Amino acid sequence: MADIDKKDTGAKGGVSRREFITGVGGVGVGAVLGGALLKGILLPEDVLAIPASEGYLLVDTKKCAGCQTCMLTCSLVHYGRENTTLSRIQITQNPFANFPEDIVQAQCRQCPYPSCVDACPTGAMHADPATGVRMVDESKCIGCERCVNACPFTPSRVQWNAEDKHAQKCDLCKETPYWNTDGGADGKQACVELCPMKAISFTRSIPTQTDAGYDVNLRNEHYGHLGLPTD
Amino acid sequence: MGRELLFDSATWLVWLAPLLGVLAAGLTKRRDPVVEGDKVLRHDKAAILEHWAHGIGTAVLLVSGIALGVWFLPSLAGSGEPVRGWMDVHFYAVIVFLFGTFYYGANTLLAMKRFKEHLPTKDAIDYTKRHYGLLLGFKKFTFPPERKYFESEKMAYILALGATSVIILTGLLKVAAHAIDVPAGLMGIVTPLHDIATVAMLLFFVAHVFFAAILPASWPVLKSMFTGYVSLEHAKKEHAGWLEELGYKGDKKSDEPAA
Repeated sequence: MADIDKKDTGAKGGVSRREFITGVGGVGVGAVLGGALLKGILLPEDVLAIPASEGYLLVDTKKCAGCQTCMLTCSLVHYGRENTTLSRIQITQNPFANFPEDIVQAQCRQCPYPSCVDACPTGAMHADPATGVRMVDESKCIGCERCVNACPFTPSRVQWNAEDKHAQKCDLCKETPYWNTDGGADGKQACVELCPMKAISFTRSIPTQTDAGYDVNLRNEHYGHLGLPTD
Repeated sequence: MGRELLFDSATWLVWLAPLLGVLAAGLTKRRDPVVEGDKVLRHDKAAILEHWAHGIGTAVLLVSGIALGVWFLPSLAGSGEPVRGWMDVHFYAVIVFLFGTFYYGANTLLAMKRFKEHLPTKDAIDYTKRHYGLLLGFKKFTFPPERKYFESEKMAYILALGATSVIILTGLLKVAAHAIDVPAGLMGIVTPLHDIATVAMLLFFVAHVFFAAILPASWPVLKSMFTGYVSLEHAKKEHAGWLEELGYKGDKKSDEPAA
């Protein structure tokens, strides 16, 4: 039988090419299997430690008029165009429901335990190291939409940006290329600034993780002067 | 929360597959082409394994990779479940593809002449045009005695080699991003490069399947990718130069391997 391997085995006093390649393969396979075994048996489960956000959006659904100014503003400051489907804050309206259930403001809650960050396989969804704000690194997003599904709220506070094809979520206006104002947890938020009803507010204190914890009373005496409920 | 991607839960398999390929090559005893009676050994078992592992892996990678791209169309990007499903298919194909490709690569390192016989000569471009023209029926040309691989096949090999190298390098970086923090700037280059190399691989793959499997003229060699052998008649007609290298002298048969 013609055997081309004969010349590979007869190294003169050293390691032959075949021995070297077999050794590299063998050591590599051993290292990977050993590492997997070590990780699977000896090490504890991964612990997810994510710093809390330094800022949160609060809303007052009883005050919201459903004008969608916040949605158009959000899209405008982030993408330079007014498009409600590109907004990170969502206003939903149900014409068959009674006040105050007829309008819902769905803003990202910057959860203390962010399921979206945990679900992201590439690290695209992450907590900003400086402020803890949960953000998307669009260049790392592979479009698997795990973050969209991982969000425990409906509608999901993470949206699929169908135009630029990546996940998006509220970053408290930290990255707003079309708004010449410092945003983020240390700055201003366009929706807070532009809401004509002043139905959105910003706080640095962590609200309780309930609907009531984020839905607060932002009505003052001037609101009462109009004959509208303030309690 | 959705189920975990295989790229996350079984990342270690992606690193194991190429190393298994290298180890398997080190342990493989290979055979050279040889004339045996009225047939010629063209591909030994190792060549068949590396070809089909690489080929099937590539086919499934292309289908699942393109499906992943198609699912990004706005009207189709509703739920994440189709994306997760295709990513898992992509994962299985990655394992097969990496094993086959690294098995081939390590085998080639052990016998560089297998690599050299794939490299084009100075006549490659001219002969490639004539070869495909002849196959498609709009050129007439009598080739000099061909060696084991046609010049056209050698040109295609270079395209496949380049595309495969870029796909593996960028693909491994994409997998690494599941485990470590790969810089966003680097990922911004890696992802489009992976896509461009995929298009190159798709071009090669479609041409390869057409010219090496669909055209009847290629069927004898296609059969040899399963059995290992081509008939002596076919080798005389299509690869006289190769037969000469194998030491075949007319009716006087030789069992001597090539130099």
